[in-house]
Amino acid sequence: MSEEVAANNVDVAENEDVQAEEHRIPQPDKITNKDLMKSWFGWWWANEVPHTFDRMLAPAFCFGLIPTLKKLYKDKAELAKAFQRHLLFFNTQATWGGGTLTGVTISLEEARAKAMANGEEPISEDMINNTKVGLMGPLAGIGDSIDSGTVQYIFIAIFLPFAQKGNFMGALLPFLCFAIATFTYGYYFTKMGYSLGRAAAKEIMTGGRMAGIIDGLGVLGLYMMGILAGQYIKIQSYLKFSISKKVFDVQDILNTILPGILPLFAVLMLYWYFQKKGLKITRGLVYLTIALVVLSIFYVI
Amino acid sequence: MHVTLSIWQALLIALWVALVESRILGFSTLTMRFSPLMTGMMVGFIMGDIKQAMIVTAAIQLVYMGFVAPGGALPAEPCIATAIAVPVALLGHMSPQGAIAIAVPVGLLGSYLYQFRFFLNTFALKPMDKYAKEGNARGLGFAIMGIPTLISFALFIPLMFIALYFGAPVISGLVANIEHGTLIHVLNSVGGGLAALGIAVIMQVIGKKQLLPFFFLAYFMSVAFAKLDISMTIYAIFGAIFAILYVTFTSKKSTN
Repeated sequence: MSEEVAANNVDVAENEDVQAEEHRIPQPDKITNKDLMKSWFGWWWANEVPHTFDRMLAPAFCFGLIPTLKKLYKDKAELAKAFQRHLLFFNTQATWGGGTLTGVTISLEEARAKAMANGEEPISEDMINNTKVGLMGPLAGIGDSIDSGTVQYIFIAIFLPFAQKGNFMGALLPFLCFAIATFTYGYYFTKMGYSLGRAAAKEIMTGGRMAGIIDGLGVLGLYMMGILAGQYIKIQSYLKFSISKKVFDVQDILNTILPGILPLFAVLMLYWYFQKKGLKITRGLVYLTIALVVLSIFYVI
Repeated sequence: MHVTLSIWQALLIALWVALVESRILGFSTLTMRFSPLMTGMMVGFIMGDIKQAMIVTAAIQLVYMGFVAPGGALPAEPCIATAIAVPVALLGHMSPQGAIAIAVPVGLLGSYLYQFRFFLNTFALKPMDKYAKEGNARGLGFAIMGIPTLISFALFIPLMFIALYFGAPVISGLVANIEHGTLIHVLNSVGGGLAALGIAVIMQVIGKKQLLPFFFLAYFMSVAFAKLDISMTIYAIFGAIFAILYVTFTSKKSTN
């Protein structure tokens, strides 16, 4: 389980340079265009297959990175840590978000693996996580409106007259055009993300501004989580009761106290639980599900 | 209209729906899911009447034109809707508009099925944590791709087969009956609340308590401005500005 690694994440980041000196890992293999294609294809293929409520598309992102991470981390323990950090909550759009972030992540992981092999201070896990979390939302916003909102319907609109006349090309052509176009520019984004990430990683590592950048990305990451919490978590009360013929709607009362209080309460309870007990994701999931089921059966939420 | 599909026709259509809804054919299944066209074409091939199938499908497409799924949740499943509505229309010699009347409620039920798939994945994908911890790439690959595919097939094939073989009208009736029931309410509530988990995990992972005010700032900005429908990009620009300000002011302090 990813529990202990992430639970000790703060300590890990602080001890990282100490660890790197003690325990050098073998030199990573060079990342080629073929590796970028493999990872892009892996993400493209897995995309929505392993979608879950709690991690969303993280497993698919991890799946795409598997071949590349194997080339970078010849050390079993570091490989395991890399797998685990890419299984945490991640959600974005496939080409604009996923393609770009696959490239960026590979470049950061490569810089980290190289530094660990050379005994230098590596890019921290926090840095990699925060970069992904900070960028996934805005890129998804762009991608959703362009890919599924625009590109898809342009092709459908062009070929719909064929379908209306009963010609199957009216179905096949928009599909093929959409599949080929998105696959091609998604791969282009992967390559672009990789070269951008490499340049950024170099500057970060030589500029000595790592701590500031980690904090900055942490601010952006937490900020985007706050936005997502406000938009994704849907918990509201359906409870109504009446005292001496006056009907009280619990959600209305909660709204006058503090709008959005229930989703925030759920997140903070879980956060508090993880703070106390460490990152026990499975238990958090089970407790949360039980609570939601019981409360919703009685229409409290 | 008591003509039905043959067992093989029903099975093949069910298999197609499972292929699309499991998303095992990659990202391009997005357009197979959002648009009825490919499903209509396959149904036409399987039933041997491509022309009429395409005409009915084109009418259904117009209903679902412009469907997008921000954050991955689609309000209906056009693929499932089409897989039920087109056979019924072809067998019953219905007008394309009659097919739409069947497609819309079935598509709604389909979206609950798709959500239910996420729910099953949430629990069934746990072995991937074990394989990740062991650094076992092969096991991890199987857990990520194999398990959810099996789940989708086990979920969609039998349901679609029963629906197709025993008749879509039964399904439309069923939808109307359970649409406002407790079961759907519970599924909605659990689906809506579980996102809290992933977000709490990231907060724990980012791990810096002194940065938490930015989470609250963002949360209440998003609650307060919900009606303005501000795009993610604008929020990201706010976030980036806060990040730059934070770094600028904290680093100044340390150089002094």
